[in-house]
Amino acid sequence: MADGYNAPQRKTMRNSPPESPVLSISGRLPGANPGDPITRLFESMRPDLLRFAQWLSRDRAIAEDIVQEALLRAWRSREALKDHSAARPWLLTIVRREHARLYERKRLELVPLEDIVETHAGPALAEPDGELFALRHAIMKLPIEYREPLVLQVVGGFTTEEIARELELSSTAVLTRLFRARNKLRVICGMSTARDVADAGNPA
Amino acid sequence: MPADLRDHLRSCHACDAFRAEMLALDATIHRAMRAAPLGASSGATVRRIRPAPAWRQWALAASILLATALVLGAWVLRPSDTLARDLVTHVKAEPDSWLSERHVDAAGLAQALGRAGVTLNLASDKVVYAQSCFFHGHYVPHLVLQTSQGPATVLLLRHEAVTARRVFHEGGMNGVIVPAQGGGGIAVLERTGGDVDPLARQMQQAVGWLPGEH
Repeated sequence: MADGYNAPQRKTMRNSPPESPVLSISGRLPGANPGDPITRLFESMRPDLLRFAQWLSRDRAIAEDIVQEALLRAWRSREALKDHSAARPWLLTIVRREHARLYERKRLELVPLEDIVETHAGPALAEPDGELFALRHAIMKLPIEYREPLVLQVVGGFTTEEIARELELSSTAVLTRLFRARNKLRVICGMSTARDVADAGNPA
Repeated sequence: MPADLRDHLRSCHACDAFRAEMLALDATIHRAMRAAPLGASSGATVRRIRPAPAWRQWALAASILLATALVLGAWVLRPSDTLARDLVTHVKAEPDSWLSERHVDAAGLAQALGRAGVTLNLASDKVVYAQSCFFHGHYVPHLVLQTSQGPATVLLLRHEAVTARRVFHEGGMNGVIVPAQGGGGIAVLERTGGDVDPLARQMQQAVGWLPGEH
């Protein structure tokens, strides 16, 4: 794949009518057969991957781009996936790296903080719980160094050790970042912030 | 969870409450992130997300507890930080101790010291408050001395591991925790911004621990 980021046409992604689940991936993967088990597997993972990418990138359109690129990479490397039960963490890892790749190229958060607006798409999706709404907004406002390990843990289900390997950090550093992320969110839930681990001598 | 941390949680309500708070927070975070965030560019329906496999949910719970344990452990196993906070909490729970002006007689002072196995080579006319208080699982002498700068609280902490001088400012009080001769520590606190070090040095010379279990 070229170094430049070739985003798929956003017009197609944003404004297209809902597609059949089979066509949304297999139509874009070269040589993919809709009936193929691995195609179906990738397709079944797509909502999780998209949710994961959205929490990382804070923008649905960018998240769709990331997931699309990630699935392309995964498709090309599909022979490396020996155990289909390990597909989810494998794909999530590819998504995370795709996001990191894009983030490094742009050298800044993909969506400016002030542009983050969590909208309600309609009455059916109205947030019944104000605290959850505020918490989601606060999570999206977390700096990437705190948001990423939190997303990996909560959304991705990765263990501390797996997160440490992926982010090339020590386990202690990961735990510290996870703590700091949660500490920032405590206020939203009506708790006071706890003393930071830096006061206890732990590395960042 | 380390055994000493587990033991600490059994005896420390504040830490146990913090742990419960963090677990509740984690449950709320998990609920909040179960769906994708609705971004500014989104008009799509939030989809039902398939949960992670059960073993990963257990791994997640274990990681959360490990994160909490690490934080609590770092606090618990750094005695001076939590010790200072606990000392202030204890002193605040006895607000009248600062107000006493009547000197404690020798018998009263001996009673406060004796239960903890402490000797004090200090004139009792300086002591205006003396109690034997239960602190961190042991009885410790809690004294208030009149100084030229006003009342100062002294707690004689035979069972605390204090290896270095540590200054703290907490809850409106200034304080210092210093090592005692023969182990343990001495805490000196005051509320008026005065210098606590001279009294701390004096107490280091004056305090001794009696042999035997206390």
